[in-house]
Amino acid sequence: MEYSILLQELKNKFENSILSVDETADIFTITIAVEAVKEMITFLKEQHNFIFLTDLCGIHYPEEDKELGVIYHLHNLVANKRIRLKTFVTKENPQVESLVSVFSGANWMERETFDFYGIDFVGHPNLIRILNVEYMDYYPMRKEYPLEDATRSDKDDRFFGR
Amino acid sequence: MKTINSEHHLDLTKEDEKVYSTLNLGPTHPATHGIFQNVLTMNGETIVSAEQTIGYIHRAFEKIAERRPYYQITTLTDRLNYCSSPLNNIGWHLAVEKLLGVETNKRIDYMRIIVMELARISDHLICNSVIGVDSGALTGFVYLFEEREKIYEIYEELCGARLTTNLGVVGGFDRDFSPIAIQKIRDLMKELPKVLHEFENLLMRNRIFMDRTINVGAISADRALNYGFSGPCLRAAGVDYDVRVQEPYSSYNDFDFSVPIGQNGDTYDRFCVRQTELWESIKLVTNALDNLPEGKFNTEVPAFFMPPKEDVYSKMEPLISHLKW
Repeated sequence: MEYSILLQELKNKFENSILSVDETADIFTITIAVEAVKEMITFLKEQHNFIFLTDLCGIHYPEEDKELGVIYHLHNLVANKRIRLKTFVTKENPQVESLVSVFSGANWMERETFDFYGIDFVGHPNLIRILNVEYMDYYPMRKEYPLEDATRSDKDDRFFGR
Repeated sequence: MKTINSEHHLDLTKEDEKVYSTLNLGPTHPATHGIFQNVLTMNGETIVSAEQTIGYIHRAFEKIAERRPYYQITTLTDRLNYCSSPLNNIGWHLAVEKLLGVETNKRIDYMRIIVMELARISDHLICNSVIGVDSGALTGFVYLFEEREKIYEIYEELCGARLTTNLGVVGGFDRDFSPIAIQKIRDLMKELPKVLHEFENLLMRNRIFMDRTINVGAISADRALNYGFSGPCLRAAGVDYDVRVQEPYSSYNDFDFSVPIGQNGDTYDRFCVRQTELWESIKLVTNALDNLPEGKFNTEVPAFFMPPKEDVYSKMEPLISHLKW
């Protein structure tokens, strides 16, 4: 199975949803519209044997219009092909369709992505925080929460017991 | 706020009008096997549903890594799995090398295989001996700790540290294997088979152990794939997939080793798969050590390479090259 054939098939089926294709990176990467996520991944799983969801994670690019992203890594174990799908949403409307009905493993991964990036997985059966405390009211992996600058000098260490 | 036992996510049917009770299994202390709590919904003595809590010990490695240069992230990878830190160190180095387009020579690859397989051995030793402890046999665990200690001594010889190794650098190693290290590896490879045989005699055909592990926690291949299992757990479920074979990194394709596969995906199969992998790892270490090619132990990528002593006092560039990353 060649990526070019797969891409052609995806283009035929999801004409308007494929936003960009990147073949230079180590893994074949497609950026897709958020509406097509579940349908395309189901298609890849059922028709093209991408039966393994290696990873599902979030990302935050504060300089983009659609700041938040979800990245899916799918793996076809038989042909040993990998594919990476990216989709981006705005911070105001971070809704992405949940994959739990396609891959059971997506359950906790989506909870983690929700926990750290605040992406709302529509249709998830139990979208609550997984690693952080329940009453936390922010999403810590977003870029507006930087770590303390290691070179800052305005702090007197004596007050911090260091 | 949704409580952890809200009917919503337990997804129970209300038709049978049964009253379920809730039982907290755990939380266990983080210093045992990682924090873990099971909130069980019980119908009499039958578990109807379970909800897990795994949280509150997140260490924000991704966040810390945002601010650090590549070579400072290696120390974070130690902590991902402290039973086999070198595996994570080298995994990180391989990822950075892929990003930078660095090719390593055969000697580095083989040295890495030796270190990675030693780490695999120490990890599997812990895992398998702890299964013994959890099912009521402490002896094997204490016995195998002696061998694990020898592996830690080898780490110590290679990099100075035992548990959180921070082993190697991007582009290879920061020093060559010393003759003492090579001797220690050879000694261990000679002794380990004997100890493993004894350990296998203790558990593998042990009636009590078999009763307590066979058909316990079994999972089918389809379900394991659907849940994203990997490594020995996936192979125990019967899926013939090993990344070392399918996508050989670090010259794994130069070596001949077999991939053990389980059948039922239960605890006993996982135990057996790991046990067989131990033998394969011993083979790999011995082969890699016997065929260790000559060459440099570092690719000398300027940004990640400590300059040799004679350049330190005489040249400027080697001293500032690391500032690029």
